Amino acid sequence: MSEAFSTALQNTLSPHVLLVMLVAATYGLFIGAIPGLTATMAVALMVPFTFFLDPVAGIAAIVTMEACCIFAGDIPTTLMRIPGTPSSAAYVDDAYALAKKGLHQKALGVSLVFSVVGGLIGSLVLIAAAPMLAGFASQFSTYEYFWLCVLGLSCAAVVSRGSPVKGLFSLSLGLILACVGLGSAHSLPRLTFGSDKLITGINFVPAMIGLFGVSEVLRNVLSSAPRDELGTTSNRETPTSRNWLSRSVDEVFGGIGTRLRSSVKWILASSGIGAVIGMLPGAGADIAAWVAYAVSKRTAPKENRDEYGQGSLDGIAHATTANNSSLAGAWIPALVLGIPGDSVTAIVIGVLMMKNITPGPGIFEPDNPQLSLVYGIYITFILANLMLIPLGFLAIRAGSLIVKIPCEIILPLILVFCMVGAFAIDGSFFDVQVMLVLGLLGFVLERYGFPLGPVVLGIILGPRLEETFVQNLTKSTSLVAFFERPIAGGLGVLVIVLWATPLILWARKRMVR
Amino acid sequence: MNSAAKLRPVLFLVCLLSLSGCTQGDSYPNRPITLVCPWAAGGGTDRVSRQMAFYLEEELGQPVNVINATGGQGVTGHSRGLQAKPDGYTLSMMTLELSMLHWRGLTRLDWTDCAPLMSLNEDPAALFVRGDSKWKTEKELAASVVAEPGGLRASGTAALGAWHLALASWLISFDRTPSDVNWIPSQGANPSLQELLSGDIDIVCCSVPEARALLDAGQVRCLGIMSGREGTPLKLLNLKEIPSLDCELKGWRGLGVAKDTPAEIQETLVAALRRITNGETKVAGKTFPEFMDGEGFDRTSRPTTEFAAFLKKSDETFGELLGRDEFQEVASGPVGRMAFPATAFAMGGVSLLIVLLSGFPQRKLAGAAVSDSAVSTRQEVTTEKISDHNTPNYWLFASVVGSIVLFTLAGEFLGFVLSAGIILAGLSVLLGAKPHIAGLVTVVIVPVIYQLFVYVLRVPLPTGIVWW
Repeated sequence: MSEAFSTALQNTLSPHVLLVMLVAATYGLFIGAIPGLTATMAVALMVPFTFFLDPVAGIAAIVTMEACCIFAGDIPTTLMRIPGTPSSAAYVDDAYALAKKGLHQKALGVSLVFSVVGGLIGSLVLIAAAPMLAGFASQFSTYEYFWLCVLGLSCAAVVSRGSPVKGLFSLSLGLILACVGLGSAHSLPRLTFGSDKLITGINFVPAMIGLFGVSEVLRNVLSSAPRDELGTTSNRETPTSRNWLSRSVDEVFGGIGTRLRSSVKWILASSGIGAVIGMLPGAGADIAAWVAYAVSKRTAPKENRDEYGQGSLDGIAHATTANNSSLAGAWIPALVLGIPGDSVTAIVIGVLMMKNITPGPGIFEPDNPQLSLVYGIYITFILANLMLIPLGFLAIRAGSLIVKIPCEIILPLILVFCMVGAFAIDGSFFDVQVMLVLGLLGFVLERYGFPLGPVVLGIILGPRLEETFVQNLTKSTSLVAFFERPIAGGLGVLVIVLWATPLILWARKRMVR
Repeated sequence: MNSAAKLRPVLFLVCLLSLSGCTQGDSYPNRPITLVCPWAAGGGTDRVSRQMAFYLEEELGQPVNVINATGGQGVTGHSRGLQAKPDGYTLSMMTLELSMLHWRGLTRLDWTDCAPLMSLNEDPAALFVRGDSKWKTEKELAASVVAEPGGLRASGTAALGAWHLALASWLISFDRTPSDVNWIPSQGANPSLQELLSGDIDIVCCSVPEARALLDAGQVRCLGIMSGREGTPLKLLNLKEIPSLDCELKGWRGLGVAKDTPAEIQETLVAALRRITNGETKVAGKTFPEFMDGEGFDRTSRPTTEFAAFLKKSDETFGELLGRDEFQEVASGPVGRMAFPATAFAMGGVSLLIVLLSGFPQRKLAGAAVSDSAVSTRQEVTTEKISDHNTPNYWLFASVVGSIVLFTLAGEFLGFVLSAGIILAGLSVLLGAKPHIAGLVTVVIVPVIYQLFVYVLRVPLPTGIVWW
C-alpha cells in the first residue's frame, strides 16, 4: 500500500503535473469570476484537453479547476453583487455590504482562507472515510431527498434577510418559476402558455444573473447618484516605509488568525455539513451553503445576529467553508459507486472511464493497479486547496483593481457580461429575456424588502422537490411513509423544528405585548 | 459639445469595430460551428457530442463548440438544432426522443424535419436489478411480475420517457400491460440507480453504458438487453454474457442538420463523419471508435439514406407503442400536474397577504422601517442621497432595459460584436463617460470578449451579418 502511495506522490509532485494544476487553477479562477459561467461548463470544456494528459494530470486539472472556480465565484459576489455560483447567493448580501464599506478585500480574504480550510477538511473526510460514507449515501432514497430539499429551502426562507414570511413569499415565487416547462413527474407542459420557448423552463443561471446582477445595475442607474465607490473608505494614509506586499497581505488577511482560532467549532460543523450534503448525489454546494449559513446565524451569540445580512464575516466564513468541503464530498459516491455526487463529478466519471479506471468499491482494494491513481487524487485535493491560497490572493488583488474603474464604464460593462453570461449557457436569447424579466422582478422585490436568495434556491430545488414528492406518493399513497425511514424521519423532524422556532418566538412576543 | 457631436466619434469607432476580426474565405466552413446537444453536461449524449466535436474540428479545421440546449425532455435541443439557419453552421446531435416527442404532442418536429448525416450509436435498453437481489434471470423477474401485478417498482427516466417505454414493451412481450409494474418517474439513469441501491425500487431500465460502473462493481446485475430475438448477446470484459431479450428497443444518437442545408455542405460533413467513424481520424492518438469502445458505447453507424430508413422505422415503432390505450392512463399519477404550482401559488398568496396585513413597510421615500427588515437601513441611506440629488433617472433605467431588449431582438442579426459594442459605448456615454474613452474601451474589450469566449473558452456567441 505504501508503494502505491509513494508512486502517487512521485507522480503528483512532478513538474508536469504541477504546471497543469497551475494552468487549471488560473482557468478555474477566471471562469468562476465571470458570472454565468459555471464550474460544470468549465469542466465540460476541459474534457477534450484531458485526453492529451495522463490520468493523474487530467484528474489533477479538474480537481484544481473546481476548487478555484468555486472560490472565484465569491469575487463577483462581493464586488458586483452577482453570485458567481448559486452557493454564493447565501452570503451575497453580507459580502456586498462589506464591499460597500470598503472592506471587500477583507471579506474576500476571509472567504479565501475559510474556503481553503473547508476544502482541506472535506478532502480529509474523503480520504479517511470514503467507502464507509458511500454506504451511508446509498441509503438515501426519494424520501430522504424530499426532506433534504425542504430543509434547504426552509433554511433559505427562514434565515435570509427580512421576516420568514417574506422569505416564504420569495420561496413561493421561485417554486412557481420552477414549474414553468416540462416536469419529469408528468412530462406535461405547465405554465408555458403554448409557447415553444417556455417549454424549456427557466434556467437558474440567467435567473440568478438577472435577479442579482441586472437588478443591481438598474438600481444604481435609477438613483443616478454616483455609485458608492467601493474602497473609498479604506483609502487610509499608509506609511511609505511599509512595502506594497506586506500592505496587501495585511489588507486581505489581516485578523484572520484570530478569526480562525475563535471559529474552530463552526469550522468543523460547517465542513461536516458540507461534506455530508456534498456526498449525497444530486445535493451539493448550494444546499450546503444555505444550511451552514442558517446554522451559523442561529448559533451566533445574540449581539452578532443582527449582522447577518448586513455584513457578517462569520456568515460568509461558515457558508463558504461548507460549500468548498461539499466539493470533496461529491467525489465520494462518484469514486466508490460510480454515481456522480454533482454535475462536475458526472463528467469526471466519464473521464475516469476513458482512462480505463472504473469507479467502484474495488478501487480501494490493495491489489488494484489503479490504487496509486486514487492516492494521486487524494494528494491532488490537498495540493489544490493549498495552491488556492497564493493564487486566490492574486485574484483578490486583481479583482480589487476592478473597483477603481469609474462607474459609468463599469456598469455597462457588467451589463454586457451579464448578457453574455446568460446567453452562453444554452446559446439562447430566451435566456437573456429571462434575465431581463427576473432583473425587473429582483428590482421590485428588493424595493419592498423581500429577499432574493430563496427565489434562486426555489428555482434550483423546485423541480427536485416536486419530483421526490410525486415519487414518494407513487410509491405509497400514505403520508406516514414520509417519516418511516429513519433518516427521512429525522430530517422531517428537523424541518418542523426549523419552522416551529420562529413561530413560537412570534407567539411569545405577542403574548408579552 | 452637444449630444450629436458626442455621438459622432462613438459611431465612427463602432464602424471600426465591425471591421475587426473578420475572416477571409468563402469555403465551408470558414467560421466556428455549433453542435447542439439536447441533454445536460455530463450525460452520455453530452460525452459523445463533445468527443465528436473534437474530431470534427480536426477534420473541418474550425472550432466546433457544443452547447447543451436542455429542457422539454429533448424538445428544446432538437428544435434549436433543426430549426436553425440551414447554412451548415449548426449541427444537431439527435437522439431517439425525436421519434417520440411528436407522438406525445410536445412538438411538431419529427425526423422528416432533419437532413440525417450519420447515426453514431444504438444502445439497447437493459434491465437491471440489485446485485444481491433474488432474480438471477429475466424469466424469474417476469414470473414475479405475473405473480404480483403492480407490486414491483421500476424507474429509469421521466414518465413516458424512452426507458419507460422500453420496460412497457418488455411487459407487452410476455402479454402483460405497462401498468403491471409501478413506474417511478425520475430525472434519468443516475438517480434511478441510486434509488435501486437504496432498496426503494426493484428494477431499473436504462442503457448499459449508463450503469457500467455499478455493473463492473457488481452492485447491479443486468438481466438482459433489448436487442430483439435476432440480437446478439452482450459480452463485456470480466462479466457474464448478457442475453438478448425478445423485445427490441434501442436508444440511438446521430448527427443531423436542418432540412434545407445545401447538398455540398451535407456532403462535406458526411465525408468527414465517414472518416471519423472509420477510425481514420486521430485526436491525441485515439480514434473515435476507440473512444466509443472505451466508454462502452455501441458504435453502429449508418450514413444518410440508411440512417433515414432507420429513423422512419424508429418513428413507426414508437408511434405504435405510444398509441396503445394503456399509456393514456399511465400518464396521470397520484398527484395532478397542476397540484404543485397551485400549492406554490397558494403559499405565495398567503404569505403576501400576511405581509400586507402586518403593515407594508417599504415606501420609497419614507424613513420608517420595519425592525426585522435589514434592507431598510440601506434604503434610508440611498433615499437620503436621492432627495439630495435630482429625481430618479427613469431615462437611464429605460435605456438599460432597452439595451437588453435590443440585444435579444437584434443580436442574432447584428452579431455579438456589433450589438454589444453599441450597448457598451452607448450606455457609457449616457452615464456620463467621455465619448473617446467609451469608444476606446468598447473597441478594445468587445472583440477581446468575443475571441475569449468563442476561440478560447469554446462558448458560441451570436454571429451576425458580418463574417464572424
